[in-house]
Amino acid sequence: MIEGATVRQAGPEDAVGGVLPRWVALPESVEEVAAVLRACAERDLAVVPAGGGTKLHWGAPPERCDVRLDLGRLDTILEHAAGDLVVRAQAGVTMGALAAALADEGQELAVDAPFPEDATVGGTLATAPAGPRAFRYGTPRDLLIGVTVVLPDGTVARSGGKVVKNVAGYDLGKLFTGSYGTLGVIAEATFRLHPLPAARRWVRAEVDAADLPGIAAALAASQAEPSAAEVDRPEPDARPALAVLAEGAAAESRAAELRELVGGGEISDAPPPWWGLVSRDETLVEVRFPATGLAAVLEAAERAGLAVRGSVLSGRVLMAPSAPMEPEVLAGLRRRVEAAGGRVNVLVTPHAGLDRWGQVSALPLMRRVKERFDPGRRMSPGRFVGGI
Amino acid sequence: MDPKLINDCVHCGFCLPTCPTYVLWGEEMDSPRGRIHLMKQHVEGTPVTPEMAGHFDACLGCMACVTACPSGVRYDRLIELTRVEVERRHERDPQERAVRGIVFSLFPYPRRLRLTRPVTPLARRMAGYVGRANPSLGAMAALTPRVERRERLPRVVRARGERRAVVGMLLGCVQREFFPQVNAATARVLSMEGCDVVIPPRQGCCGALSVHAGREEQARRLARRTVRVFERAGVNTVVVNSAGCGSSMKEYGELLGEEPGFEVRDLSEFLAELGPVAERHPLPLTVAYHDACHLAHAQGVRSQPRELLAGIPGLEVREIPESAICCGSAGTYNIFRPEAARDLGDRKAKAVGSTGAELLVSANPGCTMQIAAAMRRAGDDIRVAHMAEVLDASLRGVGL
Amino acid sequence: METLTAALLSVLPRDSVITDPVRLRTYECDGLTYHRATPGVVVLPATAEQVARVVRLCNDFGVPFVARGAGTGLSGGALPREDGVLIVTSKMRAILEIDLPNRRAVVEPGVTNLAITEAVREQGYYYAPDPSSQQVCSIGGNVAENSGGAHCLKYGFTVNHVEACEIVTPDGDLVTLDRMDPGYDLLGAFIGSEGTLGIATKITVRLSRAPEAVTTVLAAYESIEQGGQAVSEIIGAGIVPAAIEMMDALAIEAAEAAVACSYPEGAGAVLIVELDGPAAEVERQFARLREICAGAFELRVAADAAERAAIWKGRKSAFAAVGRISPAYIVQDGVVPRTALPGVLAAIDRISAEHGIRVANVFHAGDGNLHPLVLFDDAEPGAGERAEVVSGAILDLCIEHGGSITGEHGVGVDKARYMPRMFSETDLDTMQLVRCAFDPEGLANPGKVFPTPRLCGEVPGVRKGVHPLVESGKAEQF
Repeated sequence: MIEGATVRQAGPEDAVGGVLPRWVALPESVEEVAAVLRACAERDLAVVPAGGGTKLHWGAPPERCDVRLDLGRLDTILEHAAGDLVVRAQAGVTMGALAAALADEGQELAVDAPFPEDATVGGTLATAPAGPRAFRYGTPRDLLIGVTVVLPDGTVARSGGKVVKNVAGYDLGKLFTGSYGTLGVIAEATFRLHPLPAARRWVRAEVDAADLPGIAAALAASQAEPSAAEVDRPEPDARPALAVLAEGAAAESRAAELRELVGGGEISDAPPPWWGLVSRDETLVEVRFPATGLAAVLEAAERAGLAVRGSVLSGRVLMAPSAPMEPEVLAGLRRRVEAAGGRVNVLVTPHAGLDRWGQVSALPLMRRVKERFDPGRRMSPGRFVGGI
Repeated sequence: MDPKLINDCVHCGFCLPTCPTYVLWGEEMDSPRGRIHLMKQHVEGTPVTPEMAGHFDACLGCMACVTACPSGVRYDRLIELTRVEVERRHERDPQERAVRGIVFSLFPYPRRLRLTRPVTPLARRMAGYVGRANPSLGAMAALTPRVERRERLPRVVRARGERRAVVGMLLGCVQREFFPQVNAATARVLSMEGCDVVIPPRQGCCGALSVHAGREEQARRLARRTVRVFERAGVNTVVVNSAGCGSSMKEYGELLGEEPGFEVRDLSEFLAELGPVAERHPLPLTVAYHDACHLAHAQGVRSQPRELLAGIPGLEVREIPESAICCGSAGTYNIFRPEAARDLGDRKAKAVGSTGAELLVSANPGCTMQIAAAMRRAGDDIRVAHMAEVLDASLRGVGL
Repeated sequence: METLTAALLSVLPRDSVITDPVRLRTYECDGLTYHRATPGVVVLPATAEQVARVVRLCNDFGVPFVARGAGTGLSGGALPREDGVLIVTSKMRAILEIDLPNRRAVVEPGVTNLAITEAVREQGYYYAPDPSSQQVCSIGGNVAENSGGAHCLKYGFTVNHVEACEIVTPDGDLVTLDRMDPGYDLLGAFIGSEGTLGIATKITVRLSRAPEAVTTVLAAYESIEQGGQAVSEIIGAGIVPAAIEMMDALAIEAAEAAVACSYPEGAGAVLIVELDGPAAEVERQFARLREICAGAFELRVAADAAERAAIWKGRKSAFAAVGRISPAYIVQDGVVPRTALPGVLAAIDRISAEHGIRVANVFHAGDGNLHPLVLFDDAEPGAGERAEVVSGAILDLCIEHGGSITGEHGVGVDKARYMPRMFSETDLDTMQLVRCAFDPEGLANPGKVFPTPRLCGEVPGVRKGVHPLVESGKAEQF
């Protein structure tokens, strides 16, 4: 069907959010990605880009999906300029493989991507999950310095570059990061890196839920500079587990300082087993909130009967129910969280009609962006906010 | 005007946040960068329009921009030359002319100023009424301070203890007539620190007000006379306790084309150089020190007064926020531009109030009057004192 | 313009609309004086609603508008349009809210960068991006330019420190872009768009906790090569300092003349390295840094805040200070990968000698951001042209080495013509899609960033014939 790229018939395992594509395209280069998209444009085929498929069930199912564009074969690390603390990689490189290569030079990409064994660079950017260390290093968009994208009509475009400091032109990387494949395909990405810290120590403790907001405020203001503070509360009424990370040559002494703020606990050179893990359950809710909203968010989760895991410093936690979540439970949760200045995003749910994203003030502008980039609505149609 | 001086400005804008009128209004043409641009327009052939003159007149001449400028633009020189040009080319409206006439035939002449003293209490009471008729005259009336008993100073005040220096002392016009106690304190402090203080009785105005207003001829005449008086007195150093006078006298060379036969020093500057010998008695006070523009910006004297204050046991010095921004007094500014001066005064009063200090110390009579008036308005009365008075109290071991 | 002015007067107070020609001319340029244009009319709105009304009027009349903050930009991003409205935010300078528990402040666009830090310093917080002009440049301008500063090596740029912006879109709507909201990262796209996607009217910035320890070191080297070597070793040792700055002999001479910074005499290069963070970390990094800087002929360590300020004073004043050693100069801003620095500096030397034009180098060595100051005497015939050639050749060097034509000053009007050298036509066309989504009428700061504006109705692809805007004289083809 398409010149220059491998295409096969899709099977049930290729479904995206329950929607079965007709074909799976397996391009091996940026040019082949462009060729596939051009061909799809000519035939008005809807395309869903996919990497490791670990988060393909996040977001709404596509309205239609003719081609699953599998980027797994674009798996080359193109350039690691260690002296410049920069790496350029193709979209299909897994986060695990990238981390391993960088570690050889004593460096890392400070994105704690979930499912690193399978998740790819492209998929991590498209969904932009914030990992535990986002408090210190920011989210994927903060570390991306250059990007090559392929537009729905097959146009290949670059923005940014391979230097960290660069303000020439619009930052398409920011626009594509977290766009859930609705604007085009991320084909290559360049990131700024950090040196691997000399040591890491975790303060691990169980705390009272009522004490958490105070502890979190103290940690955030601490000049011992924690890199992350994660909470895990597997049962809504359980005593939360807290783990605080210090990174650097003096991690041990700083961890001791941080332990004072936590009010006790053990210092360990390994994270707790749940650190940074994301549930693969059939309901997953992301809650973002300002620091002062923590108490209200914890209480809202408790009322909704949700397990909580995530960062108390950067104000982002994931919640999962033990049973599928009813729309009215969601409505209650959203009401409480929004009253505390936060946001509720339903990443995964079996309910088709559920309002996943809530009200977005800039939605009209977003629609206009979508309209410009994908006038034919062929890229992951319907998957993102407002059915974009 | 020298285009080269104008071209030194690279338009970086570092002067903007230090300019009192830009702080008030946020408009380019009322910033030093904008005014230099207007000067450039004029040099390139644009006549002085009323709008243009208004923006030059609005400049307080505080010279905070000179301190802030990394390119070394001589804005002080530029604005003085511009004011001369404005005076020469620009026809002011009759009312404005009348007010300027009163000011320039009154302030530079201590004897005429003295004649107004009996009516100052009346003037203060009538300020509101006068202000409705003419805001400038109203401002002038409201500012007049309560005058203390006049102290006649001898021609020479001898050094106490070992003589370490012989200095001349400028009495100033406003200082002499409205703040005679400051001059007395200055002479005592100098004497207690071991100076013979020579005070020529026939001295007049130093010319500062006229320089700052672009009245070049009057300025030269007054300057020449001052130089003559102090040269005849035979002193090598003239100590000045009024920042505005000191900064102008330091520029006599530029105004007259030749350097006078003596050096000019601000009181704080001189005392810091001389070093303390007299015993300091404790003054248990919290004071806010106000940087007079003509001391801090025009003369670069910032650390010396703070050091002198810090040398007094029991006295705590508090910094005033936004200390680089002018209080709005600026010589005759509070008379010619009463609204702007009032806004700046209110801003300064708020900043001074935020320090919680009991006493405000400054080295310029204009600032003292201006800030005290603003604080009175805000119902946040504060005691004010000149640097010399504080030192005098400490040296003599009396309260303030 | 007269009817528009009348309409503007109906939505703004009289003294917020400037029409007097003498006054208008004071707005003819920003920090880059090379490009000048007297604006058709200047407005000084006091509220977001007023900005929106002005923009809506511009739409009604089909008149372009340009936003301006403090006018300190160095790429002519705020160059006015003679046929347009200049919207100046210098009256919108209230700090609306300081919310320390949530580590954020909400400010109006005219607030200066430094004012934010000053408002929270006593509580132990600060606003991290610190462009050299921080005491004067406005936060609205920082958002437009995505300003960095000496400390962005470790802490990132404006885009990494802004949580939300209320903007007036090019068609006059008030919209809030918030990092917390789901959806496209329009905030990320907006920041650094140089006023071409709208005007920020309210900005929520993130406040950072002041570090426990700061150590500032000044290392003097015989040559710029030795200094460069030290930079590589610092990075190689896994240290990420808060800042690494370098100045060459000529730049030191200028700073010395301007602010008497007393840098070590006879230095071919000085390196300023600032370490910050938890005291225990800084101590260890400093020990390592001392070893690395063993080759310096003098090493000064700031003992307190005053000494730290003294070390920074020379660096921060360097740009304007060059006015003391040269009648005229061009401030260039380019980026190369850090490892390419030695080669590029040598090449700049060669170009400088070839054209008989002196170049002073001041740069953020940690991230390869060069600020060559190209010196010339504007009274000397042909010198200005030669300086332009040298300045352009330096940008070509940056592009050749895989760098950027601007690290922090922006593209503005000055570098739009270099964009096609750094990006392909399809890259630029793709960026135009964003522009067209926000500003289909092309009224927001037209003529900046992009060399040839494409009409938004056009289909991307190979361009045929003369562009209609070029034909009508509204645009210039590069």
